Amino acid sequence: MRAGPWLVLALAALTLSAVAGRRWPRTWLVLIVAGGAAAAAASVLVLSGAPGWEWRGAFRIGGEALHLRLDALSAVFLALVGVLGGAGAVYAHGYWSDAQYPASAPRGRAWWSVLVLSMTLVLTLSNGLHFLVAWESFAIAAFFLITLDGGARAVRSAGWLYLAASHAGTLALFAFFALLSARTGSWDLGPMNAQAALAPLFWLALFGFGVKAGLFPLHVWLPSAHANAPSHVSAIMSGAAIKMGVYGILRFSGWLPVPNAAGWVVIGFGAVSALLGIAFAFAQGDLKRLLAYCSVENVGIILVGVGGAMLASTAGDAVWGRLLLAGALLHVWNHGLFKGLLFMGAGSVLHATGTRELSRLGGLWRRLPWTSLMFAVGVLAVAGLPPLNGFVSEWLVYLGLFDAVTSRGPSAWAAIFAALLLGTAGALALASFVKVGATVFLGAPRGPAAAKAHESGRAMLAPMGALAALCVTLGLAPTLAWPAIARGVAAWHPAWPATAAPLALQAIGGAQLALATLLIAGAIVAWHQWRGKLARRALTWDCGYAVPTARMQYSSASFAGIVTGWFRWILWPRLALRRPRGLLPARALRLERIPETVLELVIAPVGALFLQTASGARRLQHGSLQAYILYVVVALAALGAMVLEAGAR
Amino acid sequence: MRDLNLLIGLAMGLNLVALGSSRLPSIIRATALQGVLLGIMPLVLEHDIGWQVVAVAVATALGKGVVIPGLLQRAMRAAHIEREIEPFIGFVPSLLLGALGTIAALAVARSLPLLPEHAKSLLVPGALASMLTGFVLLIGRVKAISQVCGYLIFENGIYLFGLLLIGSTPLLVEAGVLLDLTVGIFVIGIIVDRIQRAFDSLDTRKLTVLRE
Repeated sequence: MRAGPWLVLALAALTLSAVAGRRWPRTWLVLIVAGGAAAAAASVLVLSGAPGWEWRGAFRIGGEALHLRLDALSAVFLALVGVLGGAGAVYAHGYWSDAQYPASAPRGRAWWSVLVLSMTLVLTLSNGLHFLVAWESFAIAAFFLITLDGGARAVRSAGWLYLAASHAGTLALFAFFALLSARTGSWDLGPMNAQAALAPLFWLALFGFGVKAGLFPLHVWLPSAHANAPSHVSAIMSGAAIKMGVYGILRFSGWLPVPNAAGWVVIGFGAVSALLGIAFAFAQGDLKRLLAYCSVENVGIILVGVGGAMLASTAGDAVWGRLLLAGALLHVWNHGLFKGLLFMGAGSVLHATGTRELSRLGGLWRRLPWTSLMFAVGVLAVAGLPPLNGFVSEWLVYLGLFDAVTSRGPSAWAAIFAALLLGTAGALALASFVKVGATVFLGAPRGPAAAKAHESGRAMLAPMGALAALCVTLGLAPTLAWPAIARGVAAWHPAWPATAAPLALQAIGGAQLALATLLIAGAIVAWHQWRGKLARRALTWDCGYAVPTARMQYSSASFAGIVTGWFRWILWPRLALRRPRGLLPARALRLERIPETVLELVIAPVGALFLQTASGARRLQHGSLQAYILYVVVALAALGAMVLEAGAR
Repeated sequence: MRDLNLLIGLAMGLNLVALGSSRLPSIIRATALQGVLLGIMPLVLEHDIGWQVVAVAVATALGKGVVIPGLLQRAMRAAHIEREIEPFIGFVPSLLLGALGTIAALAVARSLPLLPEHAKSLLVPGALASMLTGFVLLIGRVKAISQVCGYLIFENGIYLFGLLLIGSTPLLVEAGVLLDLTVGIFVIGIIVDRIQRAFDSLDTRKLTVLRE
């Protein structure tokens, strides 16, 4: 079967759904799920060995012939977009329904379709000009989705920050594509590795796509946008939209020659993103902001894989490069699935309690059992624990890094550095999600909101269940995904053809399955053995204190206290402290706030300085005719002086 | 050549008069007189005086010396403009600037690569000095009419430059320039009246609201 008809079907269904979205929610839901499924089907066909699909239109848009192309690399990303686009739409049907949000729900549906459609186009268009158009419409659709709940000030400012950052990146991409077309003489995209003069353009692409991917110093827009967007939007933004940045970096490092330093830079930024992303995540007190920072960490892991693959391809096509890239591509899928699941779970918590503050939640596993179960799957996956999928892809990345170290080339140093940082980041990720699980779902409710919570509807639970099932499947049978991933790797670097799954992957698949069986068996045995026998409920012994309250539990900040201390040099925690005084202290207070360090300490001051200078220059334009004439005279005199001086020489 | 330099010298003197006078009618008069002097110059400059040159001279003298000042006087009367000038740059500093400009014009003209037959004439320094004077008036005066006078003096400087090329510039161009100028002044005369009616003032400092 050919993939083309499916892709055309997907594009048609998505376009129709954008039109239908405002009026007919059910038609929209059917169309967008069908579109997502068709896109996923097209990708699966390409990934399972059907020839890649390429189509040149006879007519021109903006003076350029339409050129669509679906190869294995774009198919990897398109599958994710299709799955999350469909799952998120079903979730939105329950989460952001017409009944609850009569004003913004129709708008939200239409923009959702535009977002999924433009991401599909970004992945398939193979012309620089059209790519930019699709990229821009993708950015704008995301902006309108983030600001769907435009009433709140925080939401609006998050939206503007996103739009500004996104356009800073797009500016670099404009320069990138314009220079590319100027040097090659055509806007058409495709493999052009032979032209070595194109290599420096990679830096522009890295910046432009890095902003979208949320690479560490460029991530400033990401936490607030993901935290303030409606949860289904956060899910697709974090699961699929930031992957478009990764796709851009991969696509153009595969098609264009890259500078020699590119691999080092990408692996370095990736490792730093992973460590600092998770350090910031750990310190957050806001559930969705924590998840957003965790996305920075995961993009870091993916980019470590990508950078390692670049290093390998410049160091004579070493085998470990293939492992690293396979790990990165698999992690793109895994992160998309479990982060989508986690954001939907966070949305369910938010829906039930009305707050994202970890310090107001607690004890939700009794009130939201299904959400808790699926959130737990996501937590295990994101923490990189066996037997789930997060472990598999991270393990492939580690395997590649260890092989690189033992190969003793110059890249060994980069690999050691990256492995150390990734290891630390992995430990911190585990700790972060222990904190999330413990403060949100375990213990006693910390406030009335958490105490009165109720489980979400089926429309919200079903897509979470689907994503959780995919996480489990990819975790237990990683060899299923290997042929697809291997074709993606081959599309990036033709010298690394798809082969059978490496032995290590087969082994880990078996081990995961065995471990899962053991765990389930153990759980069943424990359930039968101790059911009813351990059910004595009592207070924790607390040195005889008579009136304990739920507020005496560990808070989110106290979980993170020690690690926040380690990373004080970058986190700059702001502390408001009022110590208890006297024998019978009346009030005491300890507030800790983690600022957006890069935004507040670097970008905001630089921006303020820039604005000050600009408004200083604006004072030159005041409307006084006399002074304008004076400017003309001064300019003329200066020109005259220049001419005279040039004549004297 | 000496006659021409005498005329140009007089015109440069009138520049300073325009800079130093505190009343509108005397600026207009100085501008008008300068226009007449400029009108005479082609007659002195050309060796064989044909009807064309006479026509240019008469048209210039009439236009710059009678028609335009007449229009300005009319606008001034119609708009009931106060005769006192409020300067941005005071009269003494204006005069000093004008004098400095004249000296600078002489110095600059010497360093310019001119044709030998123009080297000794005051045409180029006179032109530069008039343009600078025009600029000083444009920058340093508040009322619209006095700025129009500054613009006229500026244009006179350009005319002086044009005299360098009188042999090769077609008459039609000269006539066209003059016509443009007259129409321009005519329009400004009307606008001045309208501004006065709309804003009760001709102070250009108050006309900054409509920027951008």
